[in-house]
Amino acid sequence: MLDQFAEGFGMALRFDTFLMMSLGLFGGMLVGALPGFTTLMAMAILLPISFFLDPIVGIPFLLGIYKGGIFGGSIPAILISMPGTGAAVATSRDGYKLTQQGKSRKALDMALFASVFGDTSSDIFTILMIFPIAFLVMQFGPPELFAVLLLSLVIIAATSGSNPMKSLVMMMLGLWLSFIGTDPLGGVERFTFGLFDLKSGIPLLPMLIGVFAIPEIASVVMRNERAKQLAALMGERLSRAEFRRCVRTICRSTVIGTAIGIVPGLGQVVAAMMGYSAAKNASDHPETFGEGELEGVAAAEAANNAVNGPTMVPLLTLGIPGDNVTAILLGAFVAQGLRPGPQLFSDQGATVFAILVAMVFANLLFLVIGYLSIPFFSRLVTIKVSILIPIVIMFAFAGAYVFRSDSVDLLMLVVFGLFGIIARIAKFDVMPMVMGFILGPPMEYAFGQTVAMTNGDAFGFFLGERWGALGILLAIPVIGFLLWRRMRAVAAG
Amino acid sequence: MFKNSIKKVASLAMAAGLTFAASMGAAQSTYPEKPITMVIPLGAGGSHDLNARVITSIIPTYLDQAMIVRLTPGAGGQKGTQEVANAAADGYTLLFTHNYIDMLQQHVESLPYNPMEDFVPVARINFAPIAVIVRSDSPYQTFEELVAASKADPGGIQMAHSGNWGALFVPAAQMMKALDISWNMVPFQGGGPALQALLGGDADVTMAFPSAIAGQLQAGNVRVLATAGAERIYDDVPTFAEVGVEGDVGFMHRVVLAPAGTPDDVIETLGAAFKSLEEDRTFTRMMSRLGENVDIIDSAAYQAMRDEQDVAYKELVKTLTSQ
Repeated sequence: MLDQFAEGFGMALRFDTFLMMSLGLFGGMLVGALPGFTTLMAMAILLPISFFLDPIVGIPFLLGIYKGGIFGGSIPAILISMPGTGAAVATSRDGYKLTQQGKSRKALDMALFASVFGDTSSDIFTILMIFPIAFLVMQFGPPELFAVLLLSLVIIAATSGSNPMKSLVMMMLGLWLSFIGTDPLGGVERFTFGLFDLKSGIPLLPMLIGVFAIPEIASVVMRNERAKQLAALMGERLSRAEFRRCVRTICRSTVIGTAIGIVPGLGQVVAAMMGYSAAKNASDHPETFGEGELEGVAAAEAANNAVNGPTMVPLLTLGIPGDNVTAILLGAFVAQGLRPGPQLFSDQGATVFAILVAMVFANLLFLVIGYLSIPFFSRLVTIKVSILIPIVIMFAFAGAYVFRSDSVDLLMLVVFGLFGIIARIAKFDVMPMVMGFILGPPMEYAFGQTVAMTNGDAFGFFLGERWGALGILLAIPVIGFLLWRRMRAVAAG
Repeated sequence: MFKNSIKKVASLAMAAGLTFAASMGAAQSTYPEKPITMVIPLGAGGSHDLNARVITSIIPTYLDQAMIVRLTPGAGGQKGTQEVANAAADGYTLLFTHNYIDMLQQHVESLPYNPMEDFVPVARINFAPIAVIVRSDSPYQTFEELVAASKADPGGIQMAHSGNWGALFVPAAQMMKALDISWNMVPFQGGGPALQALLGGDADVTMAFPSAIAGQLQAGNVRVLATAGAERIYDDVPTFAEVGVEGDVGFMHRVVLAPAGTPDDVIETLGAAFKSLEEDRTFTRMMSRLGENVDIIDSAAYQAMRDEQDVAYKELVKTLTSQ
C-alpha cells in the first residue's frame, strides 16, 4: 500500500500532467463563470480528448475542469448576484453584498482560499480514509437520506431569516414548485395543466437567475444611478488578518462538507447551506451574515468544495458513480482500461494514487491560477452601470436559455424575476424557496423509495429497522426549536 | 505514447476546425454539407452519452462532417424525442435513443409524437444484454431458487430498478409475467444507485449490464443468476431462454433514429457511415474498453424489430397495468 502510494506520487509529478491540469482548471473556471454553461457540459464535451491521453494526464485534465468550474460558478454569484448552480446560492448571499461595498476582490480571494482549503483537506482525508469511507457510504439507504434531507430543510428554514415563519412559507412554496411536472416515482403528471412544457418540471437555472439576479438589476435601475459604478473600486486583496479571522469557520465548514460528501445523494447544495448555517449559528454576530460577511463566503465555499473528496469514493472503491460528474469520470477511467471497483487498488494501485495525488496538486495549482485571475474578473464591476447592466441582462437571458435551449425558459426567467422583485418588496427571503425547490425532489424520491421498500408501512419500518434514520427524525424538532429560539433571541437584540 | 496522443488530439481539433470551416464555406451539393446534430434524450454521463462521445469522435472520418451531441433530457426522454420529431427531415438532426423510450412509452401514456409515424431508424449501433444479480452472500444460489423463493413469498423480495419502465424495470416486469412471480419493485435514480442498494443490503435482487458489474464480479461481491439472450455470456450462468423467459427480453438496443420523411439517400449515406464503424479499429477498441459491443443493424432490419417490440410492449403494459 505504502510503496504503491510512493510510486503513484512519483507518477503524478509529470510536466504534461501539470500542463493539462492547468489548462483544465483555467478552462473550467471560464466555463463555470458563464451562467448557463455547466461544468458538466464542459466535461462531457472534452471527455473524448482524455481518451487519447495517458490516464495520468487525461483524468487530471477532467478533474481540473471540474474543480475550476466549481470556483468559476462563484464568480458571477459574487460579482453580479447570479449563481449558476445551487451550490453557489449561499456564496452569493454575502458575496454580492461585499461587491456592493466595493470589496469584490476580498470576497473572491476568500472564496478561492476557502475552496482550496476545503477541497485539499477533504482530498487528503479521503486518501487516508478511503476504505472506512467506503464502508460508511454503504450504511446510507433511502430512509437515512430522507431523514438527513428533512433535517437540512428544517435547519435552513430556522436559520435563514429573522422571521422563520416567512422562511417556512417560502420553503413550502419551493417544495410545491418542485412538485410541478412528472412525478419521479410513478410517472404521474402533477400541476402541469396538460402543458407539455411543464411536463419535465420547472428548470432550476431560470429560477436561480430570476429570483437572485433580476431583483438586483431592478434595484440598481430603480435607484437610477446612471453614471455611477456598481462599486467604485474593486477594493483591496484579502488581508492576512481577515483570513485568520475565518480559519475556524473554514475548518468547521470543511468538516461539515466532508461529512455530507460521505452521504450519497446529498451533495454540494446541502453542504454549502449547512456550512453557512453552522457559521451563522456559531458566530457571536449572526446579524452580519447576509449583509456582507466575509465569514459567510468562507463558510459556504469551504463546505461545498469539501464534498469533492468523499464523492470520489464510491466511484473508486465500488465503480458506482454517485452523480453525473463522477459518471463522466467513470467513462474516462474505463476508456483508459482502468475499471474502478473493488479490485482497482490491488490491480492499479499506483495509478489510482497518482490520480488522487494529482487531485491535491490541482488544488494547489489552482490557488496560483485563481489568485492571478481574480483581478481580471473583479474588474468587471468597475464598468459603468449604464454599460454593465445591459451586459448582465444579456447574460441573464442567455444563461437561462443555453441550459436547455428552450424558449419557455425565457418566460420562466421573467416570471421568477418579477416574483423575486415582489418578494423583496414584501421582505420575503427567496433562498428558502430555492432550497425547498432543489432539495424537495430528492427528499420526495427517498421517501417514495422508503414506502416502496416496505410495501407502504414506512412508519413501522423506521421504528423497527432503521434506527439511524429514526434517531435523525426524532432529533429534527429539537434541533429546529433550539435554532429558532436562538435566532429569535438574536433578532430581539 | 505522449507524442502519439498529442497527434490524436491535434487531429481531433483539426477535424472540428475543418468541419466548421466547411460549414461556413461554399455550399456543396451532396449530403452532408454541414455538421449533424445528434440529440440524446437522456442526461450527461449516462451510457448513451459515453457511447455517443466515442461515435462522434470517429464518425467524421466517414462523413467528412462533424457530428455534435446535444443532450436534451427531461420527461423520461420525451423532451428530446419530441424535439427531433419536430425537426426538419433533412438528416441534420438525429436522435440517439433506446428501445424502451422509443417503443414502450407510447403504451404507458399519451405522447406528443407518434414514434412509428414520426421516426425512421437509421441504424442500431449496439445492444446491451441485462443480467440478474444478487449479492454473493445471498441465499439464492441459482435462478431457480430465486423463483421458488419468489413464489413462496409474493412481493416479499425487493427488486431494485432504475426507474419505472426503464432498462431494468422492463425486463424484470417481463420476467415476472413469464414466470408468474411478483417482486416488490423499488425505484432508484439509475443503475448505479440500484447496484449500490443491492450491495448495501437495501435490495435482494437487481439487474445490471455486464459492463457495469465486471469489477464487482471480479471482487466476488455479486453473483449472476441469469443473462439475457440465447447465448451464454458467462459459461456457468444460464440464459433467460434456458430459465423459461423467451423472446426479445432484457436487451437495450442503442439506436439512431431520424425524423420520418428524411430522404432515402440520406438514410443510406448515414447508414453506410455507421456501418463502417464496425470495421474501424479505433472505434471498436474504444467501445470494448467501455465494455460495449458493436453490432450495427441497418434501417430495414431494425424497423422489423421495432414492429415486434411494439406488439410485445403493448401486451406487457396491458397485463401489468390491468392488475
